[in-house]
Amino acid sequence: MLETNAERVPFWEQPLPEDEKLAEQVEHERQEHLMLDALPPSENNALVLARMQQTTRLFWVLVLGLGGITLAFVVTWVIQMQYGIGITGLNRSVMWGPYIANLVYFVGIGHAGTFISAALRMMKLDFRRPIARAAEIVTLFGLATAGLFPFLHVGRLWKIFYMFPIPNQRGLWPNFRSALFWDATAITTYLIGSTMFMFIALLPDLAMARDHTSGLHRRIYRTLAMGWRGTEHEWHNLEVIANILSFVIIPVMFSVHTGVSWNFAMALQPGWHSTIFGPFFIVGALFSGVAAVIIVMIILRKMMGLGYFFREEHFNAMGIFLMLMSMAWVYFYFTEWIVNWYGNLPMEKALQSMLTGDLAPLFYLMLFSNIVVPLGTLWSRRVRTSLPAMLVICIFIQIGMYLERIIIVAGFLSRNELPFNWVNYTPRWPEVVITVGALAFLALMYTVFTRLVPIIPVWEVYEGQAMHTPRRFGRAIFSVRTEQH
Amino acid sequence: MADFMLLGLFNNVTPTADAVDGLRDLGIDDKNITIMSSLPYASKLFGRKTPRSWYLPFVLGGAVAGLLLGLFVAAITPELYPIEVGGQGATPIPPSAIIVFELTALFSMVAAFVAFLLQGRFPILTRQMYDPRITDGYIGLQVRVSGDMLDQAVKVLEASGARSVQREDAAEYRSQGIRHLLFWGGVSTAGLIALLIPLLLTYDVIRLPWINNMKDTPVVDAQEGPRRAVPAGSIPVQGPVLIAGQPATEPIPSSPESLQRGDVLYNINCAMCHGSLGGGDGLMTKYFPEVPALTDDRIQTMAAHDIFLVITNGKNRMPGIAKNLTAGETWDVINFVYSLDE
Repeated sequence: MLETNAERVPFWEQPLPEDEKLAEQVEHERQEHLMLDALPPSENNALVLARMQQTTRLFWVLVLGLGGITLAFVVTWVIQMQYGIGITGLNRSVMWGPYIANLVYFVGIGHAGTFISAALRMMKLDFRRPIARAAEIVTLFGLATAGLFPFLHVGRLWKIFYMFPIPNQRGLWPNFRSALFWDATAITTYLIGSTMFMFIALLPDLAMARDHTSGLHRRIYRTLAMGWRGTEHEWHNLEVIANILSFVIIPVMFSVHTGVSWNFAMALQPGWHSTIFGPFFIVGALFSGVAAVIIVMIILRKMMGLGYFFREEHFNAMGIFLMLMSMAWVYFYFTEWIVNWYGNLPMEKALQSMLTGDLAPLFYLMLFSNIVVPLGTLWSRRVRTSLPAMLVICIFIQIGMYLERIIIVAGFLSRNELPFNWVNYTPRWPEVVITVGALAFLALMYTVFTRLVPIIPVWEVYEGQAMHTPRRFGRAIFSVRTEQH
Repeated sequence: MADFMLLGLFNNVTPTADAVDGLRDLGIDDKNITIMSSLPYASKLFGRKTPRSWYLPFVLGGAVAGLLLGLFVAAITPELYPIEVGGQGATPIPPSAIIVFELTALFSMVAAFVAFLLQGRFPILTRQMYDPRITDGYIGLQVRVSGDMLDQAVKVLEASGARSVQREDAAEYRSQGIRHLLFWGGVSTAGLIALLIPLLLTYDVIRLPWINNMKDTPVVDAQEGPRRAVPAGSIPVQGPVLIAGQPATEPIPSSPESLQRGDVLYNINCAMCHGSLGGGDGLMTKYFPEVPALTDDRIQTMAAHDIFLVITNGKNRMPGIAKNLTAGETWDVINFVYSLDE
């Protein structure tokens, strides 16, 4: 019998030039590109599984810390249910505050996952391969966290079933023409679709985990992998359904944040009632989502030692993507403003009140974070490939995009058409605890999940590596990509 | 002789393809050969035909089901349970289009997923020929041969470079038949039962001891509070503010000049009813006997901006005289009214 790790050569051919100079170049290319740096799968599997199963002290500190904040979140929610929504800073006029802004924010960061795994898959961009799973989990947990907020936002939670479309004797059949219903339908569709999409891509990796673990772990992975063996038929099926789901889920992804934006845009509220809101929200969602995925990649790389998978080229590619999204966002925001400013309708001056009003500092901080920071730095490859710089930029973008949602929700509501309805809004402690707690909840679920499933879709990486070879062209070495189909 | 199952492990694609060719030369049908790998190799790499899959009917069926459900929810239920929404028909097209789109997408995705599970016969509940080293990069070639071909087949696998060949009695590996369908049937039944529980709560079949009415909760007190300050800029500042209890325009302080102007204006605008000394005895009291005396404590203790409101807006049968007086002149009159008491 042969040993599992005995044959250290990769199982696909890799012609290496004999020339010493070219060999150096090949070595350089291998360091640069994950796709050329194929290791025996047994080593990669062992690395991914070892990282998955190791629980360091830092991990437990993180879990306990995040768990504590999540507990505070739950306690606050119970107190809010007991005393009513009145203990928050919400008031008449500003009836939608951070809870709804959080909904928009968390749905927003959920957009990058599908974009990376579905759209980049269809475009056959290989930099997505190691990132896809990490991004999909952001989508999944982002949506799950966002899904809490409509429930957090209603006063008497135990009456929530009044909103469900079940025939009843109260004659309260819900209004299917409401924009809120479109949004709820879109998010549900997206959540179910993304879960299925993540699960099918996870199957081969669950089988991998099953093959290399023992005891209880093996039993769990054996159940979850459902008997996956990797036969031709299974792979073919996986490929076809991944393509089908990609094609269907991309329009659904666009519809989700359009639906969220229509929650606002369908109301005759100055600052909301804008035709550009749909695409503007989608671009904003991708912008904050890509930044969130980059933050997650940096943390995973540092904490789980995944430097082999998340390389400079990936941060570089994601940085370019981020910069494009920033440009698109600026363009949309400017368009919305200039149309309002030029029209100069009295009731739409709410938008202009941001320039000088109470929220002006937040407004300018948002513009700084979303425009100056990314566009001023991301043009440089050195910045894009520097992890600390990327972390700072992405945190700025998170702050900026969060402020954008706060300004849209609470800011515009506080300056509506009727001046006698103008009020200012200041959050009280429940909103602060619940917002921070929701973020901690998302991070907690993510942290725990990284110890439950392989966070790298190893089979996608192998597939990419099998399709790439170094090719000699004159005096230099290049990477060549082969298509199987 | 009984059938046998062979599992050869190869470390590359080409030897596997060679083995497939060799087995084919032995007369073994392609159906009896299964190739397993840790990454999606296209079948043509092994010189085999791409497996067939039948997603289309499922996806189309799912799409049609979603479309019909969407139409029912968005277009038919509003007819069954009409709600008046200003300006929109009972079944407006744009919102219906959104719901129809979402449900069509959802159902086609779910149908594709179901098709994936059914075609893979997941979950596989019977024993399968497998080797865990396949996920370590080896390619597994499983072949079912009759007993008399066994030795030849093993020879072909080894000659093509198989790193290990495992042989088992085929009788141990049975088809799982409809077990996976029974499994999903059970799961679906459990799911449906779980869905019934909210209905039991809704129709009060199960009663939970929970505060149901808002009056029984501490909610109301918590929501009461002092009135919030009016944000700057929400009140127009060019004209007088006409809200009781709110300050009006900047008052003009009492001075001999102001009192003198107020005296003149008072005699023009007010004295005919209130009397030249504010005693409530002007000429018009013949017709309006209820005219109050301005020297009265009730008037003299009123806040200046409330008097401002009365002069501007009028009160009871007194007309507002805002159009006769500017804001400054009104303050002069107020100063004069306060001086009547002395």
